[in-house]
Formats: sequence, structure tokens, C-alpha cells
Amino acid sequence: MTQTLAVHPARLPETARLSAPIRAILDDLAARDAAGEVLTAVRHIPAREAQWAAMPGWVRPALAAAYAAKGISQLYTHQAEAAERTRAGRNAVVVTPTASGKTLCYNLPVLNAVLENSDTRALYLFPTKALAQDQLAELHDLCHRLEDRFGVFTYDGDTPADARRAIRERGHIVLTNPDMLHTGILPHHTRWTRLFQNLKYIVLDELHTYRGVFGSHLCNVLRRLRRVARFYGSDPQFVCCSATIANPGELAGRLTEKEVEVVEQNGAPSGEKFFVLYNPPVVNRNLGIRRSYIHETSRLAHEFLSRGAQTIVFANSRLHTEILLTYLRRKHPQAPATPDTICGYRGGYLPNERRAIERGLREGRIRGVVATNALELGIDVGSLDATVMAGYPGTIASTWQRAGRAGRRSGSSCAVLVASSAPLDQFIARHPDYFFGRSPERAFIQPDNLEILLNHLKCAAFELPIGPNEEFGAVELQDLCARLAEAGYLHSSGGHWHWTQEAYPADTVSLRSVSSDNFVIIDDTAGPEVIGEVDFTSAPTMVHPKAIYIHQGQQYHVERLDFEARKAYVKPVDVDYYTDAIRYTQVHILECAQTEPLGAAAGEAPAAARNHGDVLVRSQVVGFKKIKFFTHENAGAGNLELPENEMHTTAFWLTLERPLVESLPFSVSDRQCGMFGLLHAMETVATLLLMCDRRDLGVSIGDRSPSPGASAAADAAAAGSLAEMASQDLFEPNLYLYDAYPGGIGFSEPLFRVCDVLLEKTRELIAGCACEHGCPSCVGPVGERGERGKQAALAILGRLCE
Amino acid sequence: MSGSPKIQWARLAALKPLPRAALSAAAAPAAAREASPPASGDSLARLLGGERVGNHYGEFLRVQRWFSEPAEFTPVPRALEILAPGAPPAAADPSQWMFLDTETTGLAGGTGTYAFLVGMAWWESGGLRVEQLFMRDFDQEHSLLLELAGRLADRRVLVTFNGKTFDWPLLETRFRMTRQIEPRLPVAHLDLLHPARQVWRMRLGSVRLAELEREVLGFDRGPDLWSQMIPQLYFDYLRGGEEAAPPLADVFRHNQMDLRGLATLAARMMDLCAHPERTEADPLDLYGISRLLRNRGDRTRARQLYERSLEAGLPTALDRAARRELAALAKRDGDLPRAVDLWQQLSAGAGAGGASASEPEDLFALEALEQLALYYERRVRQPERAAGLAREALAALRVGARTTHPPGMRATRLAERLEKRLRRLERPKGGSPGRPGIPCPQNCLPGHEKTRYGAVWQARTGDK
Repeated sequence: MTQTLAVHPARLPETARLSAPIRAILDDLAARDAAGEVLTAVRHIPAREAQWAAMPGWVRPALAAAYAAKGISQLYTHQAEAAERTRAGRNAVVVTPTASGKTLCYNLPVLNAVLENSDTRALYLFPTKALAQDQLAELHDLCHRLEDRFGVFTYDGDTPADARRAIRERGHIVLTNPDMLHTGILPHHTRWTRLFQNLKYIVLDELHTYRGVFGSHLCNVLRRLRRVARFYGSDPQFVCCSATIANPGELAGRLTEKEVEVVEQNGAPSGEKFFVLYNPPVVNRNLGIRRSYIHETSRLAHEFLSRGAQTIVFANSRLHTEILLTYLRRKHPQAPATPDTICGYRGGYLPNERRAIERGLREGRIRGVVATNALELGIDVGSLDATVMAGYPGTIASTWQRAGRAGRRSGSSCAVLVASSAPLDQFIARHPDYFFGRSPERAFIQPDNLEILLNHLKCAAFELPIGPNEEFGAVELQDLCARLAEAGYLHSSGGHWHWTQEAYPADTVSLRSVSSDNFVIIDDTAGPEVIGEVDFTSAPTMVHPKAIYIHQGQQYHVERLDFEARKAYVKPVDVDYYTDAIRYTQVHILECAQTEPLGAAAGEAPAAARNHGDVLVRSQVVGFKKIKFFTHENAGAGNLELPENEMHTTAFWLTLERPLVESLPFSVSDRQCGMFGLLHAMETVATLLLMCDRRDLGVSIGDRSPSPGASAAADAAAAGSLAEMASQDLFEPNLYLYDAYPGGIGFSEPLFRVCDVLLEKTRELIAGCACEHGCPSCVGPVGERGERGKQAALAILGRLCE
Repeated sequence: MSGSPKIQWARLAALKPLPRAALSAAAAPAAAREASPPASGDSLARLLGGERVGNHYGEFLRVQRWFSEPAEFTPVPRALEILAPGAPPAAADPSQWMFLDTETTGLAGGTGTYAFLVGMAWWESGGLRVEQLFMRDFDQEHSLLLELAGRLADRRVLVTFNGKTFDWPLLETRFRMTRQIEPRLPVAHLDLLHPARQVWRMRLGSVRLAELEREVLGFDRGPDLWSQMIPQLYFDYLRGGEEAAPPLADVFRHNQMDLRGLATLAARMMDLCAHPERTEADPLDLYGISRLLRNRGDRTRARQLYERSLEAGLPTALDRAARRELAALAKRDGDLPRAVDLWQQLSAGAGAGGASASEPEDLFALEALEQLALYYERRVRQPERAAGLAREALAALRVGARTTHPPGMRATRLAERLEKRLRRLERPKGGSPGRPGIPCPQNCLPGHEKTRYGAVWQARTGDK
């Protein structure tokens, strides 16, 4: 699909007709990059013609007429294919890019079925309320054209209580989200008898978002949904839509636990597009330091904006969203009291604020938006001219997804990925073919994660007693139920397990994060006013006392954090710095599941061990740094006393034995730098091997804590002298890679298995890096690792890979 | 009727123990099942004198009791119309009545909340027959529900306390979960919570059943368990079996007391609604009943009771509210002399700084002035007097607006209506609004017709 072009845009082929601003900007960029070090790749994705298919003959005339009135009288090939398969009773997943008319793929067969038999019911699931609202408008339009012959409603936390009964009775299509299905619909299924008795279709849009923890939860919610549907005698089929990922069929199959067919021949047209990899210029070659990618992003966005291109800027954190917004607004000053033409968009903005921004973007009134991944999903903001990404989003799939925000049906568009100094970014910037040639990530779920599964098992028992021959995931169901019964949750009677608690289990299980609590941010300068919210896990880093919280470019100083009441009180300020929290993490081994020696030559004591098992991760925000805008100088620091966060999870870890550590020909501090460098590189390689999101893994180094293994080692050394005993406190490290989710998400055991590959690839990464003493791409920046950190890391690897 | 010799004899007979077989046969002759004495080790059944009853789904425990109190009463159609508007005539047949109260495994609702004890009661032999169905484990739920469905088919008028929002939806969920047992729906459902709340809330604040018993029905149920403990007591019984039986027996007694309280309350409310004029009650209760009667459209008796509650003496705020409501009823009945009388009482002292618009009761005075103005304009045809009253009310509103800010919606609307009325009243005959040369009336500035009251007020102060 992609076609390599010469790096220099001046040599672009004639066929690539750029619209004026994009061409001018690419020309300018190329002109400034004489050495070709900055624009490491420019790819041209040619325009595509539409591929048409006729409207299927089985489509009811009324429905065909309704679509025709909207200007749709024939279908794109993928739409026709998806509709045919659904019509034939098979489960399908449609994988095509943004703005390729995916919703028609499910609306057409579903509406047709409703028109054929008005008892038919369908449930649409969207990952967010906003997406459901977006779809509601489209369906209402069709409904209107079909003389209101079917009822379509959203059902979520905002649905008024008096409307709910009508929705349950008259909603042919109910649009909701997994959370509402989980807490509001399934535990009250007897009120939804009509829906469940006639449930024919379940639509899962934005399927790719259901990976990792969220996906594991959803899979269990769907197990419960199918169970309830079976109770009422229905067996719904699934229609799924997904952005491009490596394994859409597999993901859909694992989520729905059914055979799902993949439709991926895109028939939608698109204008030509340029994809640019941009590596900020080097300012200090020895230290491997490049110009700040945040600055470069802001500069690039400014160029697009100032030449009239409607631009979306993606940042990888909320903090960076606000910093970039601050920079861009300063570069584009506007008259006071006129509506903003450049806005921020991220989780934590209130819904009305977000709707206004989406509208502004569609209408073209807002020229630029700085967003987090909140805008990565299919919310309709129209198509823009340019995307600038500050840093690699972490996965190839979401990079393409973000790039897809720019793309007119006709005319040109451009996406720029600005690499940060993080190892993955640098790797991609230097190896464009790796990026362009590689398939997007696989999406993993681990629905049988014990913590997740047990929670849903409780919910399932609440919904319907669990029978003797039931199945729920790949676990010994009866065994688990017996354990839940021991804990007082269930009671066995007549071969069935019944719920025996007063509480409503779904209320205590959140599908999205560890805690369902969130913190509200209150500006009480002129009476209390809620300006935003932040989820429980981010609160200690974003709104700790004395933090600078930035919202729509306005800085607020956090005066007080009321942790118990989940409130942060802030006051607007104007300062020249922002704050960055310092988090301290400690890992304790609870139980080692498996351990094996590593790097042992015959007859010698092993140099190290690989392990995996259960751990307790304690983390705490202990302080913060004040960092100046623009120069990024450290302008002071402060200590904080915030509650500690504890999490049981699973981890993979390497134990370096004392002889190995002591035999390294380096000073103590160099050895330690080597270990940190090694872990840094291992994390990079592990995320690539697991094809997971970087946020799904945590790292930590700790001294080996007393464990059964350690006491055995102490026995062996019992003959040793007192001097040796004294040297016990010598740093004898465990290098941890843990699953950043309570209960673990299933990464540790695979890492244990492929440990050899992990170490070998890590050695390749470090040895193959061109830097002298270490850089962000391998062991970390030399400033943090010291002069010999890279050598020390390689020396350790040398011993481990023997 | 309850005094007839036949019933008296039945009451005496019912106090004597009956052979069990006869009892169960009398209770439900239709359903085919067998009842057995408690098995050894079934301490709950022994504690309560219960018996195992079976049907084709299995068995459950049934406890039957007969109480001479409360005594049977006959539903009065007139009272029924008030307590259950729209109920069919059949609802007045006492043999159709069934009191119902459930004990559940939680208050959260949803499909995982069970009704483990279903208490039913009806009149029998002049007293109250109580029958409790209990599932000793979850696998007895179907058989229990089948029995309940039989009872619901026999007695089609349901009487509960908060049953419309809690007990009945929960039972509907339970029936639906069986996928097999479909109960006949009651022809009428009297949920006494809502009328009881209307009648007694003013005196008691909260209206829990035990409180009504003590404060209204005049009896104390004595030691009772804390109802929040009930789910846990049942879970303990499920796991602990026989040892947890004695505490659970208290739940049965609690349920019996609830049913008897419910029946007593029903009798009391039936009597209140049938013969409100005979009631010797607290003035607050009289006021409560008048409101209930008014809301149900029985204006004649509502007015009588309003008058009686006013005679008996109400606290000031309620007294004014009662007068206002009574005046509205009198007006609707065309009894203008009484209405005018009440409006004059309400408006006495209003205006001239006497009333402010800060409290709803204070607004009553000004609204009464408005009504009087209307009366003088339309009935007595004294436009000058009507205008004077309207001006008086507006002036008082403005005094109020100075002390309270911002004026409420009611005050704003009242001011708008008064201004409109004044414009009409002060317009010369045959004139049209806004004709040049006609001086604007003192209280009506041009261009302010549609402004909010607050804006008018600002304009007025600006003049001074």
C-alpha cells in the first residue's frame, strides 16, 4: 500500500499532486534538512479509487430508499461483503481505516432484519458514551426517513429514569457501553426480557480498544451476556468493527468466543497522503542529545496552522497536551474575548466542553486541536489536513489510527511522527522500513486472569445461579465456585451456586481501572467550580499538593488535595514552570512460581537466575520537580507525603548472583548503572516481543529479598567466614519486569519462557547502537548512566548469554 | 358485620387447635400436595410449628398462624376509591384481599436478590390468618413460588406497605427467573405507604410501619429485630443450618408483626376514608386526611375536614396552607362567600410591609390578594377596588424583593400576572394598550411587559 519516495520532497513524482500548503511545508522541511538526518522517511500513500458493489437484492425497498435519499445507492465492496456475511448468519469483523463507512456495515443488515421482523432486537456496544451519542444521530436520521418504524435509544448513566422503561420495551436498537451493560443491564435482565428473547445482533464497534485489561473484562461481560441470552433462548451473532491491528480475527474470536470471519478488503476512496518520520536535529552528538521533540512538534504544528491547514496534534500524556497547547496559543495569539481557534481535548474535560470542540472541528471554526488518545477513536470530527504526533504513540496500530485523522476524501493530507529520545522512538526513526514494513500489533487479552475472572464470576452468579454443567472461561468452574463459597459469596444448593451477599457485585467491579473512584478538580477562587476530573491512578501524579495542573492552557496551582474526599482544590496562577511527579516503586516477591539458573558453565555455580511469580508492588509519589517551560531546566523540587499504592501482580525477574556482580571489572556505581541500563533495554525489547503497550509493563530494581531460594543459598555459604556474612548487604539485585495490572495480565510466564531470546535481542540492541556511552535508545542517556554504564550492561549480558 | 353471631362463633372456633391435615386442606383446597410434620433435626420448623409442604417442584416450609387481632373489617367502596383509585368493584370483596410482605436477601434489587420468606395474610373466621412460605435453601424457591402463585390466583387484591416499588417488582423478577411459573396479576394493588405518608407525614416526619403502629395505631410491637440484619441472619442459617435457626425464627415473628400491623393500618385507613367525619383525630392528621381526600377528588368531604382541622387549630404555617387549599376548593365549588372570607383572612396584614415574599407561606397572602382582586373585578364589578388590591400586592412584592434576592419563580410569575391585571384595570374603557398620550400607570413602565420581575424592580428603584 505504501510506496517509498526519495527523501527529498522536491523530487516527488508528478503523480503526487500536493495541495499548496502541504507541498510548501514539506519543501521547507526538506530544505532545512540538507544532511537528510531529520526527515528520515517520507512515504507517499497514493489516492485510492472507490470500489463499488451493488446494493444487495435482499435489502428492503424502504431501507434502500432511505439510504438513497442520503446519497448512498451503491456500497463499497467491504460494506457489501460484511452485510452479506451478517445476513448469512455468520459473525464478522470489518477491518478498514477511519472514515470508510464502517457503520453501514452493521446498520444495513440490522435495520433490514428489524424491518423484516419488528420483534428483532440488537445491542450496540461502544467503548465510550460519546461514540454512542455520535451514532445515535446517524440512526435517528435513518429512523426518521423510515417513518419511525423502529426505536433506537442510547442507554447509559445519563439516561433519565423515566425513559428507561420505554427503552426496555420499545428499543429495537439499544446503544450502550460495556460498563452500562455490566452494571445496569445484565444484573436486571428480567426487566429486559423482550430484548433478550429477541436478541439477534450484538455490534462491537472500535473492537481494537478492547485489548489488555479492558478487553479481558469485556470478554467476561460478553460471557455473561451470552449466558443471559441463552437463558431467554437466544443466541445472538456478532458484527465487529476494528481499526487495523495484526490479529482482528483472533481478537474478535477471543472476545466473543465464537468463529468470526474477517472482512478487510477496503473499498472506500481516499485522497493521497504523506507520512513523514521526523527526528529532531542532534544538538550534542557525543551525548546523543536531540532538540526537544515537544518543541519540534509545536514548531511543525505552527507551520501547518499558519499556512491554513487544519491540524491535529497528538501528545502521549495529558501533561504534554497542555504544554503543547500553551506553546501553540502563544504562537497564535488571538484577540481577547474571541472564541479559541486552538483547543485542547483530553480525558478530564467535561462532556459539554468536548462536544463543543468536536462541533468546532467539524465546522472548521477550530483550526487546531491538541489531543491525547481520546481523539484516536472514531468520534466524528470530520477530516483534517495534517496530523502531528509528539512521540511514538507506543504501538504501530495507534500510530496509523492517529495518522488517519488527517485524510480528506480528495486532496492531500500529511501525517508527521516526531520522534522523542525514547528508545522505541529512536529505533523507529532510524529504521523506517521496520516501521512501515511491520504489521501492527497483536491485541492480547487475558480473560482468565484470576482477579478479573473471579469478579465476573460473582456477577454471573448474581445474574443467574451457576449450574453444574456450565462453562465460564478455561477454568475449573466448580472449583472456583467452591472457593467463592468458602469466602461467603456463593452457596451451593441443588447443584447450583447462588449469590449470597446483600451487595450488588457489579457495583464494585470497574472495567477500566483499578479503582472506579475519580478525583474532581475544584477551582474555588470565586465559589467552588468543578473544572475537571482525574482518575484515581493518575491523581497522585497530576494533582498532588503544589502541583501545577494545566487545563485548556490555563495553569492552576494545587492548593490542597483531599485524598479521602477525592477532591483537589486549585487556584489559577501564571508561572513559568510545570511540575513532574517523582514516583518510587518497590517490589516484594510473594511467591516464586518457577526459577531456573542462567549462564552456568558445566560444573560452575550459576551466574544468575530467571524467575517468575507473584509479587507485591508498592508505589508512592514521593516528590516532584519543577521544570521550566521552553528551557526544561530543573527549577526546584519538593517532597510529598501521599498514601502508598499497593498492587498484587505477577512479574518476571532476573536475579544476578553475587559472584557475577563481584566479578565485574567495574566500580560499584558503574555496576549499578550497568544494571539500570540493562533493565532499560530489556523493557524496550520485552514490549516488542510481547507486542504490548509500554504502559502494560512496569520495571523496578530491588535487592534480593529473603526467599526460600535465598535461604538455600545461605546454607551453601554456611562454611564461609564472618567477612562474607558482612558482605551480605552488597547489592545483589533482582531486575523486575512486572505486569502493570492487579493480578497480572499474563506477560510474566511468556517472558520467563523466552528469556534467552529476550537477553539475546537486548544484547543486539545495545551492541548495535551507534552511540558511544549509551543513549536513550539503548541503555538510557549517558547523563543518567555514567560513562561506563553501557559497557557494564554489555559485560553482564556477556556473562548471561554464555 | 363483624359482630354477627356466626362470625363470633367462627372466631372462637379458630382459637382451638385444628388437626393439621384439616388446616392445610382448608387453606388451599385446589393445589395437590402433601404436608408433613417437621423431620427430626428440623429445628426451625419445630420452633415455629411449621410443616414441610411439597408440590411437583419440591418442598418448602410453611408456617400458619391465626390471630384474633386485628379483627376482620369489610372494605367500603367509597374508601377504596380514595385508597386505590381505579380499582374494579371486585376489590371491595374482602375474601379477595391478601396482605403481603417479603423478607429478602438484600435491598439492592436485581436478579440476585431473593425473597426467602413470603408472608401472606387474609381474614378468616373473623380474625387474621397468617401464612408464611419459607425456602430453607435456594432449591426450594420454585416450589415456594408455585404455592404463592396459587394464593395470588385465589386472592386478587394485594395490600402492601411499599410493595409497589419493592416487594412486587422483586417477586415479578423471581417469577420471571423460573421461566415457568406465571402468576395471575392482582386486579388491584393497595400500597398503603403513599396514602399513609400523605396523612401522617406532617405529624411524624418519617412513616415507617413500626412507627405508625406506635404513634397512630396505638400499640407497641415490643422487641423486634433490626431489619438490616435480616439478610445476614438468612445467610448464616444457610451455612450454619440448625444452630442459626433461633435467630431466624425472629425474622418470622418480625414478618408476622409487619403483616398484622399492615392489616391494622389498612383497617384504620379504610375507616378514615369511609367515615372521615367520625374521626376523633389530631388536627394534623385531619389536615393530612383532607389533603388525601382533596387529591383523590372528594371535595365535599375534604372541605368538611379542612374546616374541622382549622377549628381544631393548626400550627401557623400549616394553618395558612390549609386555608389557601380550602379557599381553592370553595372557589371550585362556587362557594365564593367562604372563599372570599378565607382570602381576607389570609391577606390580613399583607402589604404595607406586613408580608415579604421570602417564604412560600408569605406569598399565600399576596396570592390571596390577587384572588380577591379577581373577585372584585369579575364578580362584584368594582375595578377600582380590584386595582387597589393588585397595587397593594405588587407593593408588598417589591418590599419583599428588596429583602430577598433573587425573587423566586412563584413571586416573579405573581408579579407578572398582577402587572398584567393592573394594565387592564387601569386602561380607560375602549382604549387600547400603548396608545400615545395615555400616561403610563404608576406601576407599569412601558417596555417592561415581558421583563422579569427583578428587572422591573431595578427600573423602579432607578426612578427614586
